Amino acid sequence: MRHRGTQALLSVVAALMASLLLLFLAAPILRLVTEGGSAGLARLGSDAELRRSLLLTGFTATAATALGVLGGTPLAWALARKRFPGRAVLSALLDLPLLIPHPVAGIALLLLLGRESAVGGAALDLGLRIVGTPFGIVAAMLFVSAPLFVSGAREAFAKVDARYEGVARTLGDSPWRVFRRVTLPLASRGLLASAVVMWARAVSEFGAIVILTYNPKVASVLSYDRFTSYGLQEALPVAAVLALLALVPLTLLRALRTDDSQSRGTG
Amino acid sequence: MIALRDVTARKGRFALEGVSVSLAEGEYGVVIGPAGSGKTTMLEVIAGLLAPSAGTVQLGGADARRLAPEDRQLSLVYQHAYLFPHLSVRENVAYGAADARTLREVEERLDVGAYYSRDVLGLSGGERQIVALARALARRPRLLLLDEPFSALDPRRRTLVRREVRQLHRDWGLTTLQVTHDFAEAGMLGDRAILLDAGRVLQQGTPAEVFRRPASPYVAEFLGAENVFGGVAREVGDVSPDWVEGDPAQYAHGHRAFAFETDGLTLYAVGDFAAGAGHAVIRAEEITISRDHVHDSARNRFSGRVTEVQAVGALTRVTLDVRGVPLVAALTTRSALELRLEPGLAVVASFKAMAVHLC
Repeated sequence: MRHRGTQALLSVVAALMASLLLLFLAAPILRLVTEGGSAGLARLGSDAELRRSLLLTGFTATAATALGVLGGTPLAWALARKRFPGRAVLSALLDLPLLIPHPVAGIALLLLLGRESAVGGAALDLGLRIVGTPFGIVAAMLFVSAPLFVSGAREAFAKVDARYEGVARTLGDSPWRVFRRVTLPLASRGLLASAVVMWARAVSEFGAIVILTYNPKVASVLSYDRFTSYGLQEALPVAAVLALLALVPLTLLRALRTDDSQSRGTG
Repeated sequence: MIALRDVTARKGRFALEGVSVSLAEGEYGVVIGPAGSGKTTMLEVIAGLLAPSAGTVQLGGADARRLAPEDRQLSLVYQHAYLFPHLSVRENVAYGAADARTLREVEERLDVGAYYSRDVLGLSGGERQIVALARALARRPRLLLLDEPFSALDPRRRTLVRREVRQLHRDWGLTTLQVTHDFAEAGMLGDRAILLDAGRVLQQGTPAEVFRRPASPYVAEFLGAENVFGGVAREVGDVSPDWVEGDPAQYAHGHRAFAFETDGLTLYAVGDFAAGAGHAVIRAEEITISRDHVHDSARNRFSGRVTEVQAVGALTRVTLDVRGVPLVAALTTRSALELRLEPGLAVVASFKAMAVHLC
């Protein structure tokens, strides 16, 4: 009897803790959207800087995601399918950008890509300025968000039973053809979901971008700039629009995961 | 066609240890073994999907190490079919098809067209196996590797599909290697049986050899032989009508006569065996039962009592107690009924000397 009472009490405490955490996560976003959402959407028509900033954010995040997908897909496939020396080190290395503070990532990138550096200097010689341009934004976004794509894509490839690929090989396909005809289609949902996660993470990046490229301003930098220059009321509509835009990748991810769970059960 | 020499390979917890197997062009080989014995691993090594850590693999006389799976002119069908879920049933069958004519022939012979309107994920396990089989055959391979391909089929379809595969094997001159744990299937299909356990080949030969002449008591028990006795064999001369010791007469093909002592019973055997300690194996199907002593050609005849009668459809297994030694005979249920067999009944069990295999 006493044991049952303790169980009930523990259940109540656990439910309370979970509810509090949920409330803590949802309340600020809800408050932000209810306070500044309509004003933010109205600003889209009148605030040219906000429109430019959102376009720049979307463009650079898409470019960074494209680069991440191009480089990350073979990397993720190799990590999922191959056993090679240094694989564990490579995996740890890929997690590193996710663990270090993002301003630190910005400083590291500045050291590598700044005009004083070998890489930055060489790029300048070729007429390509990275720091202080959209290239710098893309570089910062790529650095902080690509590991998320690689991690998700690796999981997506690992989920594809290698025997599908084996069967395709015995049916006459070369490894490249197997990748195109079997592996890629079977992993496509997971890859797309990982790309969406990467894109969303790139859009929300601030710490590394603000060090590499303050101007032109992406949306996160613009909301920070408005806050420090004009105060909360000016920053509120920009921040609310950003929060609302986050619903787009969130909805996409939900749709992809639902489809994925419905199409399971092969074999 | 296939020659594995001392092949060692590992995949997860499955491994092959020094496996040597050969299958001639046009032969139908059957690999028998318990779960986890390395049967699928062996097929994957032959298909080139798993590289052996030692040993050699030859296909058609050529060193297969240089050949990628797609260049080995083979098809592999897994037990779980592995149909591509992102393709239609028809696209699956046509995936690696050699040409339109072959595709049509396979579609007709296995009647897979009936599934073309269905979704791959909606097919039953048996239907998936048929589609996977059609997909493999449509490639028109020289070598067909089958991993328990009929296991999910219902008995009627299993018979039909098995017959069709065997017919295709003949018509196209295929070399086929099939994994199964169904001994009856092995006997029906195989020109050559390969018995695998714990990654090692225990015995290989024609199914008749493997089933009637098991290389060890373990093989005999694994293959379902219920009468396996330990004892000592000594060579005797076969001077009819009595067995005379100390006159080891030689027979054609090296066959000699033996007396095998086990638990107070003497079993007579004829064959190419070695004298000494070993085991005697008698398949239950080789033992006949009568209510009285009858004069026939059987050299082994024992009186005993029925201890158990177990009817399974048209077959009845009868266990006898012969001077404390259990002996299992298999006879038709009709015969068992006619003899009115029941526990406690005194009967005579008899079997020929050639039915006793010493190993």
